[in-house]
Amino acid sequence: MSDGRRGVETAIATRGLTKRYGHVAALTDVTLTVPVGTIYGFLGPNGAGKTTTIRLLMGFIKPTAGTAGIFGHDTWRDGVAARQDLGFLVPADALYPDMSGQALLAYAARLSGRPPTLQAPLLKALEFPEEALGRRLGTYSKGMRQKLALVAAIQHDPALLILDEPTDGLDPLIQRRFEEFLRELNARGRTIFMSSHDLAEVERVCERVAVVRDGHLVAAETIAGLKRLHRRTASVTFAGPVPDAIAHVPHVALLARSAHRADLAIEGDLNPLLRFLATQQVSDFVLAPPRLEDIFLDFYGASANGRAEPEPAASGAAKS
Amino acid sequence: MSVVGRMTERLLRRGIVGFVALLLGITLFELVQPIIAKSLGGPQALGSLLQALPPAFQALVKTRPEFITVSGLAGYLTLGFTHPLFLVLIASAIIGFATRTLAGEMERGTIQLPLARPVSRLQVYAARVLGIAVESLVLAVAAPVGIMLGLQIAHPAGTVIYRYFVPTAITTALLAWAIGGLTLLGSAAANTSGRAVGWATGAFAVFYFVDYFASLWHPLKPLDPLSIFHYYNPAPALVHGTLSWSDVLVLLAVGAAGSLAGLAVFARRDLPT
Repeated sequence: MSDGRRGVETAIATRGLTKRYGHVAALTDVTLTVPVGTIYGFLGPNGAGKTTTIRLLMGFIKPTAGTAGIFGHDTWRDGVAARQDLGFLVPADALYPDMSGQALLAYAARLSGRPPTLQAPLLKALEFPEEALGRRLGTYSKGMRQKLALVAAIQHDPALLILDEPTDGLDPLIQRRFEEFLRELNARGRTIFMSSHDLAEVERVCERVAVVRDGHLVAAETIAGLKRLHRRTASVTFAGPVPDAIAHVPHVALLARSAHRADLAIEGDLNPLLRFLATQQVSDFVLAPPRLEDIFLDFYGASANGRAEPEPAASGAAKS
Repeated sequence: MSVVGRMTERLLRRGIVGFVALLLGITLFELVQPIIAKSLGGPQALGSLLQALPPAFQALVKTRPEFITVSGLAGYLTLGFTHPLFLVLIASAIIGFATRTLAGEMERGTIQLPLARPVSRLQVYAARVLGIAVESLVLAVAAPVGIMLGLQIAHPAGTVIYRYFVPTAITTALLAWAIGGLTLLGSAAANTSGRAVGWATGAFAVFYFVDYFASLWHPLKPLDPLSIFHYYNPAPALVHGTLSWSDVLVLLAVGAAGSLAGLAVFARRDLPT
């Protein structure tokens, strides 16, 4: 990491970031902060504004309103400084097909102006065959091009990585190795901002996530925080009849009941329910673990059902 | 080597096969000119032959029979620099480079590789301008090389002063530079290389035909200065070794203005998705 980054606590900061194409709003008033040293997931359905946000961060497109900054540098007006310590995953199909793998990595390193110190360990972690480096990229499979694009993005050990769908096209084993590599980078203080359709991957790797929908930021929260606030389901089997008082426990809604069993929905704090159950004769209690996928599908569902805004958890987090 | 130099090298390498093919085409085209000159029987015969052609054909090669009769072999050889095929070959090389390396790279997304790094748009653009300058010079040298080879092979009657090839090459390089600058402007504004090629080819054709028709039809004469071909006159260079400095300045300025306007467009535009 360059000395110029010392003392900077925010890797990415956007304020009111907006991008319009004519009358079409691709991104509206996105304010987001990515602290240094975090692995930040960026989620959203297709067309939600993820790629637009990333292109704004890279200075590929000009904001209609608002600003995007990397390490305190405006990405449009001061792009060279903003990209000084940055690694960006260029789409695998946007690499020169006539170059050999080795030539492309050398060219990328020269343009970065830094030695490719992580090239060898990355090639090893991604199981990239050494003999393939001498071949033209036009002969590579999609997965191999993706691996090479990852190496080109990370080999110079930048302080911030912006990765759009980094494991797209990688097999599950390599995907896990790459995730491990990212965690190691993060342990050394690197910041990683990644979009992914693989929610399980985001859940495994990221500490925080932001969710965009229809060009708006609808959530920006730690994964643990999202889970804490997310509606979960539980099933309780009582030794006796289901007590009527359970319907009045804070944050709990009774979904279904039979003679001894109650199916519950819990939104928010779990402790009132646990305190209530401690006073009862409970023979079984099953609490479904919250998954990021469920949370994300709630956001999708809100969109599909035509609701204006998603869960309350999101609205409060939108300006982080 | 600087970042701009590395990018230029990369851009020139990428289209090297097509460029070399065009160079060979230009060299071969020029190589046959002395051979044709000899086979037709010298400048007097060439002048008579040209005299027999209608003015519309004479205007195609921007020359007059009297000029060839008076200027001899060197005058005839200027046809190799004004012939439409030669101009098309030069334009193909330059338009191809300027559209492939800017609009084409934006279209394919390959321009993201440098722009995702601490490289400015100015540097990315400067590499294209430098590439056009290099290709213009190489193209301009290819034609005299072809003629000199042809002279060695055919030994036609008449004299050609070899050092006059220098101002002739400068004239050709400046034409290529002007075409390149204007094409870069279109390439910077376009989202696809196809569109940029269309714009550049259209402009090339308009310039050519304005110059062509202005030489045939007097009422169009006032429009002639609007064409870059109005300022492209290799005949005095090859016959007398002289350059019109006003023509040199205009072609230089057109190329530079096109390049600068293209930079202004490229620096402010969104990259296409």
